[in-house]
Amino acid sequence: MLELEVQDLVKQYADVKAVDGISFSVNEGEVFAFLGPNGAGKTTTVEILECLRSLTKGSVFVCGYNISKDKDVEEVKKNIGVLPQDFNALDKLTVKENIELIADMYDKHLKVGDVIKLLNLEDKANAKFENLSGGLKQRVGIAAALVSDPKLVFLDEPTTGLDPRARRDVWDVLISLKKLGKTVFLTTHYMEEAQVLADRIAIMNKGKIVAIGSPQELIGKYGGLKILIIRKADKTLADKLEDKFENVTITPNGDVHIKIENTEELYRIMSFLTEMKAERDIEIQTPTLEDVFLKITGSKISEEGETK
Amino acid sequence: MRFVAIFEAVTKNWLRSRTGLFFSIMFPIMMLFIFGSIFGGTNYVPTMTAAFIMTNGIIGLTSTNTEFKRRGIIRRLSITPLTKADWIVGCVLSQTLLNLVLTGIMITIGWVAFSVRVIPDPLTILMIFLGSVMFSGIGMALSGSIKDVEAASAIGNVISYPMMFLSGVFVPLSIMPSTLQSISNFIPLTYFSDGLKAAIITKSTGTILFDMGIVAALAVAFIAIGVLLTRWKEK
Repeated sequence: MLELEVQDLVKQYADVKAVDGISFSVNEGEVFAFLGPNGAGKTTTVEILECLRSLTKGSVFVCGYNISKDKDVEEVKKNIGVLPQDFNALDKLTVKENIELIADMYDKHLKVGDVIKLLNLEDKANAKFENLSGGLKQRVGIAAALVSDPKLVFLDEPTTGLDPRARRDVWDVLISLKKLGKTVFLTTHYMEEAQVLADRIAIMNKGKIVAIGSPQELIGKYGGLKILIIRKADKTLADKLEDKFENVTITPNGDVHIKIENTEELYRIMSFLTEMKAERDIEIQTPTLEDVFLKITGSKISEEGETK
Repeated sequence: MRFVAIFEAVTKNWLRSRTGLFFSIMFPIMMLFIFGSIFGGTNYVPTMTAAFIMTNGIIGLTSTNTEFKRRGIIRRLSITPLTKADWIVGCVLSQTLLNLVLTGIMITIGWVAFSVRVIPDPLTILMIFLGSVMFSGIGMALSGSIKDVEAASAIGNVISYPMMFLSGVFVPLSIMPSTLQSISNFIPLTYFSDGLKAAIITKSTGTILFDMGIVAALAVAFIAIGVLLTRWKEK
């Protein structure tokens, strides 16, 4: 079953097309990620899907309901859980009180204590929200998104601004969501996050989806070749390798890079190296989503989410 | 019944905030002491109470609410099945509870410091309730339509202060020029302040009921305007 179905979605502001005719769908139980730099249109799209923002054109079905109909919007709200970008709660209320407040908005909800346990927040249940670290605040936000036991969970940049350790903690939570059978829609500008968590990724750039598929598919299609690296090869070895194989480059610090077309070629290089008795530090570099993004858009995404 | 959960949460949040407590309770008490000591407390107990119920609604609630909006708290709640009316009613009732507490304190101070002996009767409490709802309704309508925190509190001040002077809270209306006196007929605070004075001091039932009718009608109107002006879905 499809939890999300988006057809030709357009969001037009005065003179900018923030979202420029995108179409995609998300299956039940899938973790789907929108990956792209700041300003790509990820948050605008997600806010339209959450019924927080109006759309200019196109059709959107969330959990089978048409978000352009007011009656359906009420149903959508019952079925989704949301962690908005820059999540905040009432400062002077405790973690538990804040999650209870969200729970009370629904006719049916999970036990607040169970959700607190799921997010590992037991120690902090009675701490005031204002005294929490960024990572803990995000976990409260995820707890609030889950307390209504939604079918579909939206997480808008769940780890932006967190330190690596807090980021890993949030990832662990997201991995457990998948085990609970939730459908998750995630936006992120961290390549690694999308690669680790998502079943399928839509790469977004300048309002358009430029590629869509599983991490492996994307890497296979756009990531380019694997590269064999021989660290600090001496001149004789480097020259011989250059004579014998194609696609060889020698870096200024003396490393030899050989692009590998197929497994057969890899074996040929390896046996040549054995023949040469080249006892060298050897490494095979597989392409990542970063290479995919670079290949498709011609740019990289910085830690802060900007293109460079 | 979602407004009950909203009422509980915003009330707790407010009770635990020191700046909130200072401006909503301590500041009015200070002003009552100052004006009461200079001019005598009899009239200032009801009029000051009325005036600060107004500022708590128009300035206080407006800025807390725009702050909630700026921090994305209203946004987060708007993704749930909560309705705008439930949100507004919950906030207004929370402010009203606070104002009842404020009135109690003002009356106690009037009694202890200025020998103004008042025992609040059901009409007084109803008057406070309606006045609170009216001014909190204005606050919700303002914050529903204004995005920026600074702008909201500036507009709140611009509305409140002239009202305070033109409704005879600080200076008796009788010594004002006749034009200003006629302007005061169009100011909601005039009716609330008059009605409260009548309920607490003069006990003239006719005046109380007349003022109460106007305040009640305005209360309903401002809440409705608040619901209409509040936009949850962004463009």
